[in-house]
Amino acid sequence: MTRRMFKISAGFEEVMPPEYRELVEKGPFEKQLGVAELGTFKELLEEHPLCAGCGLALSLRLTLISLPSPEDTVIVGATGCSSLAFPQVAVHNIHSLFGNQNAVATGLKRALSLRFPDRAKDVVVIAGDGATCDIGLESVMHSWFRGEKLTTIMLDNEAYANTGGQESGMSQLGTVLNMAPMGKKFKKVAFPEVAKAAGCVYVAVAAPHQPRRLERSVRRAILIAREIGPTYVQLYTPCPTNYKFKPADTLSVIREQEKAGLFRPDEYLSPEAAAYIQQLEEAKG
Amino acid sequence: MYVICKVDEKKCNGCKLCIWACPDPNVIVFDPDSKKISIHQARCKGCGLCVAACRQKALEIDAV
Repeated sequence: MTRRMFKISAGFEEVMPPEYRELVEKGPFEKQLGVAELGTFKELLEEHPLCAGCGLALSLRLTLISLPSPEDTVIVGATGCSSLAFPQVAVHNIHSLFGNQNAVATGLKRALSLRFPDRAKDVVVIAGDGATCDIGLESVMHSWFRGEKLTTIMLDNEAYANTGGQESGMSQLGTVLNMAPMGKKFKKVAFPEVAKAAGCVYVAVAAPHQPRRLERSVRRAILIAREIGPTYVQLYTPCPTNYKFKPADTLSVIREQEKAGLFRPDEYLSPEAAAYIQQLEEAKG
Repeated sequence: MYVICKVDEKKCNGCKLCIWACPDPNVIVFDPDSKKISIHQARCKGCGLCVAACRQKALEIDAV
């Protein structure tokens, strides 16, 4: 996508919504902005309907800022809390059936590499824990087995949050939720380990309490997926509505979980991915 | 009752911690000239994450 695609035609400036005009004038397209510049430009997300204090919304916001080239990115979403925010995202995005996000992304990536052989087009899957680890597990795993050059980002809020709070595979052992009154009977799925075993060349676990680390993880995952192979990022995003804590405590809950050993930031690079990142950093200087 | 965040400009030192903690986009705007932040009140949901992040105690949640 080039800049002229979203420019307003002459004479139509006054009828376009103010948010769109702001995006054209002060948007981050083709500017290489990051988390450090937040607050000085128009973000790619506009007023979303997610709850006050939502960790998922914060992670989605930071993820969208971290995209290395938003004008050449297509996001594939899935049903869940995040799908409520996607109509407000100013990046090409697709919503398909619940759970088949990685299958859709596979076809899209192949078509884009045929259509634009000399331009890097990033296909990024952003889905919740239910879509990635439970319902969409088969399509996610098979895209990794095939070595598709996709980035899969899981927004892990440890529950099915927009349907009233059912337990998901990613909920902690013993979690009691509105629709899981007996407590969860099995442990949280060690999905980063599954990703490593399934062939992901880059796996990272991060959370929005460390925005620069989150930015680095997302950026590296997308850059590595361009050249080497499938990558996976898991973002821990606590849910104040279903876990019944104050909206202002979202970030302190992440720190408490980290202290208790229930959440551990992590980064794994395969030898090829590490060599590629080193090469990119040396080229940058 | 609707609540939103309000900023005390005298205490703000422009560290941007609140901007990195806010789940809603385009709410907290940073002015590079004065090195201070301002709040877009119509977009703020009053969750209080920025208040928890602010080390200068420059922010508070208050009624509209």
